[in-house]
Amino acid sequence: MINLSARDGRRRISNVLWLSLLCLLAFTAIAPLFFIFSYLLIRGWGGLSIAFFTETPLPVGEIGGGMSNAISGSLVLMALSVSFGVPLGLACGMALAELKTSLTARLLRMSIDLLTSVPSIVIGLFAYALVVVPLKTYSAWAGGFALSVVMVPIVARSTEEILKLVPSSVHEAGLALGLPRWKVLLRLIVPGVRAGITTGILLALARVSGETAPLLFTAFSNSFGYRGLSAPIASLPVQIYTYASSHDDTWRQLAWTGALVLVFLVFCLNLITRLLLRRAR
Amino acid sequence: MNEPIENEKSTEIVLALETKHVNAWFGDHHVVKDISLKVTKNDVFSLIGPSGCGKSTLIRCLNRLHEETDGASVSGEVIIPGAAKLENIYAFGVDPVSIRRRVGMVFQKPNPFPGLSIFDNVAAGLRLAGVIRRTVLEEIVETSLVQAALWLEVKDKLKKPGTSLSGGQQQRLCIARALAVKPQILLMDEPTSALDPVSTARIEELVMKLRTDVTVLIVTHNMQQAARISNQTAFLLTGELVEVGTTKAIFTKPKDARTEQYITGRFG
Repeated sequence: MINLSARDGRRRISNVLWLSLLCLLAFTAIAPLFFIFSYLLIRGWGGLSIAFFTETPLPVGEIGGGMSNAISGSLVLMALSVSFGVPLGLACGMALAELKTSLTARLLRMSIDLLTSVPSIVIGLFAYALVVVPLKTYSAWAGGFALSVVMVPIVARSTEEILKLVPSSVHEAGLALGLPRWKVLLRLIVPGVRAGITTGILLALARVSGETAPLLFTAFSNSFGYRGLSAPIASLPVQIYTYASSHDDTWRQLAWTGALVLVFLVFCLNLITRLLLRRAR
Repeated sequence: MNEPIENEKSTEIVLALETKHVNAWFGDHHVVKDISLKVTKNDVFSLIGPSGCGKSTLIRCLNRLHEETDGASVSGEVIIPGAAKLENIYAFGVDPVSIRRRVGMVFQKPNPFPGLSIFDNVAAGLRLAGVIRRTVLEEIVETSLVQAALWLEVKDKLKKPGTSLSGGQQQRLCIARALAVKPQILLMDEPTSALDPVSTARIEELVMKLRTDVTVLIVTHNMQQAARISNQTAFLLTGELVEVGTTKAIFTKPKDARTEQYITGRFG
């Protein structure tokens, strides 16, 4: 008995030790997040003003100006990437879920996984060659296209995963009603997992809203605000990149504030995603 | 098989379904072996047999659902009365989708469409087949739910999700959903095996009432259930049809020793 309780005591101590070590490591892992947030707040907060959201940047040396061009540009680019990327991604995801393990599905799945791992700068080059070169100008079209290429595999795989969660018996129930496969999928299965699919789309959107590399030589940038989809367009990440590497204090302040706004935007997208997921359950 | 339906009527027995030498495989695995059966119209016909005897696979051949599984294949003929004459559902060029509209199915586990309301679950088959008039849909949904003995319990919450119901109610919802497209035959694959005794009793009761509108083929591993609700019973063993006859004959004086062993609980 005495022996046993001695062993029990040792077990408890080692339990506490290991648990504290795990907690410590876990906090270390997420510490950068808090540093980023607090640092961005400290450096960026001061620059937040109405002008930041309503005015375009001023030339180097002048005090004032804002990033309205980058904010509106980012929104336009996100809208474009959603309108190309989401239908394609959804189609891929549904095809994968429907074709399951056939050769076509396996090839498609492998290509999509490869596409996920293509560096985003390469995707930018691809969009440059495919859209910028023929149109002979940087444009919102090119940027939106590049972002949608980033988006497609994310939407495709998340859609497939969500659809795979629907039991095959539900599928069969639809078939047994005398409905063709595509109708069962689009009208009976997909509506039931709308929230899950939307989650995947929002996550993909959060991902592309911070992408810089695919935009550098596709959307490029402009300092005047929206000039049409066939013209170069500014975006928060590219603007931050440009201004942060400048030597002008006003511009660098704009970059910090821009970074804060961007992180807040992504944070909100993630938050909406989580809320949707919780509602779906 | 192409003789006009009148010939069938003259013999007083109207055929609802006939299988001729039906075989089914999963890959190389031969699960249903040369089964020939006749099912009378407005009858309740049960298929009994131990687990893995191929009874579920057999009824999945009757609405061409078996072939939807990867690697599955079927041979033989399944005859059902068509608009003018008897038709083989496996004849060349027959669209499985049109067959499934006439041969409905209820599954082992209740499987309402997730995210769809009770109303939309029942209306799904009609709506997607092109029926869009609200009044028509409402009427059919109500009659189907009444037929499935669920109307009184759900009439005030038709907008609630189908998955919010209890297991037994969900299964009756699935029955209503199958009935809404007005099939001539209803296949039931162990419809009560996932349910409690009270829900089981309700479903058995409603199956017996359904025979006035539809011919029911029910797979069950519960012999008492077969005895309670069906007029005809077929006993399957390792994919083969051992014996078929009136339920009474099967349960009181089986001809085959294996049937006797099974119904007296010697195996299975």
